[in-house]
Amino acid sequence: MQGATMQSKKIWGARTLFLLPVFILFFFFFIYPFFFTIITSFTSWRGIGAMKFNGIKNYTKLLSDATFRLALRNNVIWALSQGFIQVPLACIVAMILVRQPFGWKTMRTVFYLPNVISTVALAMVWIAIYNVNGPLNAVLFKLFGTAPRNWLGNPDTALFAVIFQTVIYIGYFMIILLASAMNIPKSLYEAATIDGAGTLRQEWYITLPMLRGNLVTTMTLAMAYGMRHFESTFLMTGGGPAYATTTMGIDLYLKMDALRYSEASTAGVFLIIMGTLVITILRKIFGSSDPMSEMAQ
Amino acid sequence: MKERQSVQWILLNTLKWILLISLLAVAILPLVWLFISSFRTNLELQTTPFGWPKAFQWTNYKQALAMASLPRLLLNSIIVAAATVILNSLVTAMGSFILAREHFRGRDALYTLLTAGVLVPVISFMVPYFSLITKSGLYNTLFALILVYTAVNIPVSIFLVTAFMKSIPKELEEASVIDGCSFFGRFFNVILPLSRSGLVTAATFCFIYSWNEFLMAMLLTSSIESRTVQLGIKFFTSQFITDYASMYAAVIITIIPSIVGYIFLHDKIIGGLTAGGVKG
Repeated sequence: MQGATMQSKKIWGARTLFLLPVFILFFFFFIYPFFFTIITSFTSWRGIGAMKFNGIKNYTKLLSDATFRLALRNNVIWALSQGFIQVPLACIVAMILVRQPFGWKTMRTVFYLPNVISTVALAMVWIAIYNVNGPLNAVLFKLFGTAPRNWLGNPDTALFAVIFQTVIYIGYFMIILLASAMNIPKSLYEAATIDGAGTLRQEWYITLPMLRGNLVTTMTLAMAYGMRHFESTFLMTGGGPAYATTTMGIDLYLKMDALRYSEASTAGVFLIIMGTLVITILRKIFGSSDPMSEMAQ
Repeated sequence: MKERQSVQWILLNTLKWILLISLLAVAILPLVWLFISSFRTNLELQTTPFGWPKAFQWTNYKQALAMASLPRLLLNSIIVAAATVILNSLVTAMGSFILAREHFRGRDALYTLLTAGVLVPVISFMVPYFSLITKSGLYNTLFALILVYTAVNIPVSIFLVTAFMKSIPKELEEASVIDGCSFFGRFFNVILPLSRSGLVTAATFCFIYSWNEFLMAMLLTSSIESRTVQLGIKFFTSQFITDYASMYAAVIITIIPSIVGYIFLHDKIIGGLTAGGVKG
């Protein structure tokens, strides 16, 4: 008896020892920041001194802030374009590659490649591509004779330009969709072929419904990314010109840079809320499948 | 009837290849363009945005390595990425071992909590991370970045490694217990060696993240001694303002590790992604 208790005490000690590092890191970099952000968003804190509670003042201020509202609008555009252009494109490519055309494995590898390259490096390239004297204008001039544009410098085209370059990242969603498309039983397609259904009909009536769960997952990931987008826009335009491309993340960063910490935290709370909203709405619409548990299984 | 079908087939096939080729082009032409441009002279770059270099300008690369503090930044990036990978693998292996192979109350709840971290937008934590790192006196140190990167990667790593460890058959562990293996014996002699493949996948994602990360590095460091190459590209472009060719060469140097790593480990990466759609 005595021995057994000691044994189990020892096991518990070892278990705790093994879990502790992960838990401590998770606590300080996820749990603590989460509550810190929420609490400071209700104060008027500028980084030094005691925090003073000031109710929902930051929230009302943020919501009447024209720049933040622009950021919010841009994030919604980002989320929609990621979910409804990026994911469908990725899905079409997955549907093509699952039929294993010539070179499909190489294409799969190449499609994912931009995802491992740093945003900073690619942003540098896109700045050059969108430049007035850059390759894009040169191509467009040769093909259509259009006058050169300053894609990133013009408020009318800047948002479109920064969103368009994310097309290079479809490989990420494509690989997830391709993997589950490969698990669809071949017999379904064979039966459909015998019944005289063409390729397009097969895709529409077999592949799409079978991919439903993964489509919801990828759409959730894509739209949540759209809500938290920061890096490439920050690097390409800094949120400009005239805040045309700003996002909540950039707004948060600029507020923090101006030492308006508690207002930055309020923007952070909005970021979290919008991300959660995306997940909740998609779950409501697509009911049965459960992207949350699929992602965090 | 047959004829109509074959016309449709040709049409669909043409459309398919046009779509594939144009999307592939958009995906890799920027990189190809960067690569070729890094060998051209500034004069060539200014006259036409496209074109093959008349002579390959290796001097661009020499210039890049000499002008900016690129060697120092590269060294910093290597230290940060290597240390992050080691630290993250270590804590993840230990944590996942308990979460995958031990049974106790609250285990599933803890696992859900840790992996739900992928749903949290880390950029909303800029303020607390900055205040935490400043208060602990780690501001502007490489260790600050190592710590943050290790922590931020925990949800993805735990997800991948726990799933992998769960797939190891129980019998192997039971046999070792009968052979007299203790808790530590089971970890070091059975589970850890068998999980190597899963750990490599997690480490690959961790490396890519740490090598490419920009925002936290910008937020938490301020001098050349602790900055990474990504900040180098961003902030030293002013040094290169007239010398685009060298700047492109510098960018190529910084992406070589990612490309080489990808060539060797793309199977692991693709396998890791299909394990359930996780993004760091």
